[in-house]
Amino acid sequence: MSDFKDIRVNSKFEKLVSEITSIGLSWHAKTILENSIINKKFINKTIRDIPNPIGKKAQSAIVISAGPSLHKNNMLQRIKDLGFEGTVIAVDGAYARCIKAGIIPDYVLTLDPHPTRMVRWFGDPNLEKNLEGDSYYSRQDLDVTLRDNSNKENKKTIALINKYGKGNKLVICSSAPKNIVERAKDIGFDSYWWAPLVDNPEEPDSLTRKMIKETKLPAMNTGGTVGTAAWVFALTVLKIKKIAVVGMDLGYYADDTSYLQTQTYNSLSKEVGEDSIHDYFPEYVYPITGERFFIDPTYFWYRSNMLDLISSSQSLVYNCTGGGTLIGKGVECLEIEDFLKRLNYGEI
Amino acid sequence: MSDLLRGNFKVKNKVELKEEEVDANDEYRKKALNSIGGSMVFVERNKLLWDEDSELDE
Repeated sequence: MSDFKDIRVNSKFEKLVSEITSIGLSWHAKTILENSIINKKFINKTIRDIPNPIGKKAQSAIVISAGPSLHKNNMLQRIKDLGFEGTVIAVDGAYARCIKAGIIPDYVLTLDPHPTRMVRWFGDPNLEKNLEGDSYYSRQDLDVTLRDNSNKENKKTIALINKYGKGNKLVICSSAPKNIVERAKDIGFDSYWWAPLVDNPEEPDSLTRKMIKETKLPAMNTGGTVGTAAWVFALTVLKIKKIAVVGMDLGYYADDTSYLQTQTYNSLSKEVGEDSIHDYFPEYVYPITGERFFIDPTYFWYRSNMLDLISSSQSLVYNCTGGGTLIGKGVECLEIEDFLKRLNYGEI
Repeated sequence: MSDLLRGNFKVKNKVELKEEEVDANDEYRKKALNSIGGSMVFVERNKLLWDEDSELDE
């Protein structure tokens, strides 16, 4: 695991982070295998069938994740204004926003097996039922109007994606839940399947090996999160070396986000108690802008995973997020305009 | 207990937590830890891609 040196954390935080791998394994292993078995009958094309990009599409890529900087730094409008001609890969959570901004991604990736929370990214035909008793999103939405009008926004998303989604390439993980598979079919996505590479498939008891055996799919590493999976896809399947990432905050803006608005607050407060909660949200200053962020154990784990995979790949990631915590070996931070300028001048 | 009744009292019957109580506490903790664990299993830190067909293997 990457070291803890650059974000100052205490031993309690370190201990919890060290448990996350086994927590994930015990919680999600059964679901991702079950979903893979259920989904195998829908598999028509795989990531092996994706045509190699050509021309400018082969030269560079922008991976669009869905962190708060996407909106705060007006990333989508900036990318649109730049007239980027390379490959655009959006994670599921950023897809509708891309369409609204007039950007049709070349690929959209989905991974998360949650049975009710993910389909909203494509418009949820059963939103009210899926929201029952679940404050996961309403807690996080900073915009009160959005919180109160989730039904209205959802209907707009359904209409938007129904209009523009047909034929878009969906890179869908075998772990995807039933409602995502159904929604993808309704939209008319051109789907390419893959299995998550979660452990070493050479080991006899490997969970990855079990999924591959069932589905006959190629397996791609995810780093635990769809943004990292999208980067892995660009690098290893499309074989694009010059990859910029945006919206990959892997943290929260300290100035306008409370702990209650984080994804893990409820679980953390139950686990560690309110009195200790502050220990689990260490702060970090993004050195380029001086803005303060905080990170929770889960995002810290995602960050460590991404940095480890970057190291394993021996590649360089151009982080054009403009904030957040993704800084380290193998990561160059720069503005998206500079990435494109240097690309055009042959400096990247 | 020993801090309150230091020196002159020993509990006669040994208090043991029932297995069901341990299991229930464990389950509660596991549920609390659920979202902390993210949404995907991740163990492999070296291989990025694996294809039995070897067309994509890396």
